[in-house]
Amino acid sequence: MGGYGDVKLLRDDGLRLDGRKLDEMRPVTIEAGILPAADGSAMVTHGLNVAVAAVYGPMEAHPRKIQRQDRAVIDVRYNMAPFSTSDRIRPGFNRRSREISKVTAEALESVVLVERYPRSKIRVEIEILAAEAGTRCAGITAASVALADAGIPMRDLLVGVASGKVEDIVVLDLDKAEDNYGQADLPVGILPNTGEIAFLQMDGDLSPDEYNLAMEYNFKAAAEIHEIMVDALKRRYEGGEN
Amino acid sequence: MVELVPTLLRQELARLAEDDLRLDGRGRWDGREVDLEIDCLYNAEGSAKVVMGKTIVYAGVKFEIRTPWPDRPSQGSLMCGAELRPVAHRKYEPGPPSPQSIELGRVVDRGIRESGCIDMESLCIVPGEKVWGVMIDIHVLSDGGNVFDACGLAAIAALRTAVVPAERFDVGEDYTLKVNGTPIMASFTRVGGRYVFDPSEEEELGGDERIHITLGDEGHLHSLQKGLRGVFTPAEFAEIFEVAHQRCSELRKLVATQEGN
Repeated sequence: MGGYGDVKLLRDDGLRLDGRKLDEMRPVTIEAGILPAADGSAMVTHGLNVAVAAVYGPMEAHPRKIQRQDRAVIDVRYNMAPFSTSDRIRPGFNRRSREISKVTAEALESVVLVERYPRSKIRVEIEILAAEAGTRCAGITAASVALADAGIPMRDLLVGVASGKVEDIVVLDLDKAEDNYGQADLPVGILPNTGEIAFLQMDGDLSPDEYNLAMEYNFKAAAEIHEIMVDALKRRYEGGEN
Repeated sequence: MVELVPTLLRQELARLAEDDLRLDGRGRWDGREVDLEIDCLYNAEGSAKVVMGKTIVYAGVKFEIRTPWPDRPSQGSLMCGAELRPVAHRKYEPGPPSPQSIELGRVVDRGIRESGCIDMESLCIVPGEKVWGVMIDIHVLSDGGNVFDACGLAAIAALRTAVVPAERFDVGEDYTLKVNGTPIMASFTRVGGRYVFDPSEEEELGGDERIHITLGDEGHLHSLQKGLRGVFTPAEFAEIFEVAHQRCSELRKLVATQEGN
């Protein structure tokens, strides 16, 4: 959190700079099955974010030391394209992308029925083509649609969504300015059908009440995104094989 | 992933070649349909997406201010890199750039650089102090064969849409990058003993060596590359060179159409 208190993020009419209400999400579109080479894939646009996910597998897990006798491991790579941000990112992993990859993998392992595939590996590749705050959430949503598109059984879809705080007020789905100058960010991965949480991070400053409200916003948004995910998968399979 | 020797595929491709046929029904010199989208990425100063059959490629242009090389104080720089990331195919492993990605990036880079379409002097801000570094990054999202042509097309199309972000760097007003020309690559692979244009994934798997030709607006050669194991004759080159001419001008027209010309 940048914490520059003097940047104005709410308008006098109580709306946000881009005209959204406090609990209003940026527009989300989802398309499943967009990458012909992958076993499953999806593209998610969330505001100006563009996240693409590809799934390969289940396949033999190697190197062997990553193998688990009782379940599959999920190998996630979250990567930002060099041109996805205002300043070019040098290609290759950094500490941020490694951490996001790790916790995303663990979240997906909590949702996928990994015990169905002992000793195997499921590769999930998340590529961010354009970034405008909230890429990890868009990536989680894309990954879960791609897993479903690959026909991999899951307990539920996993929805990535975030709320935060700007000018001491809790808002849903931070955009770039709100992320840069806001006071808190609470990205989560929600299982909308079971009401569970598989991904959780937070930074900034939230009171317990603010946390509860932010989480309430997140669940509301997750239900909305879930519908769009289901719709994307239906469109994919109603159209038949392509 | 270890690729199994595709003996059966090779046999089938050889059998088809006897009747001058291809696996997907195309003629020997036919390319797949090309879908080009320009200026399609937020945050990139120039961008393009190319879809050719099962191949999907994005290219994005970014600028940075750097100090010029001491021997060329008034020249900016251009760099083009490609990544065959694991997202693109199950055969690609994570890790540092593979020799294939490096070859791919460098062949595209040479075609654009050597065509002279970017005047390096025009990238100078303050001689000896500040120049623009232009970076084209190519992201292969799906490898369905012939990523070279897809990358070459995406790179030049993205470059041609680029806007120099001078305001953001506090060195004047934004302006459209001047690009003089549209160098285009055409690639051929030996399949069943003879060359075909725009190889598919199966043709690359069951084929032999490949040749990449980049031609400028005037039909001049700007970059050549032979890859993989195999040899060819001058007569074979003459034949594919003719085809390259035609296909490159068609693709150049496609770029112009997308640009609204």
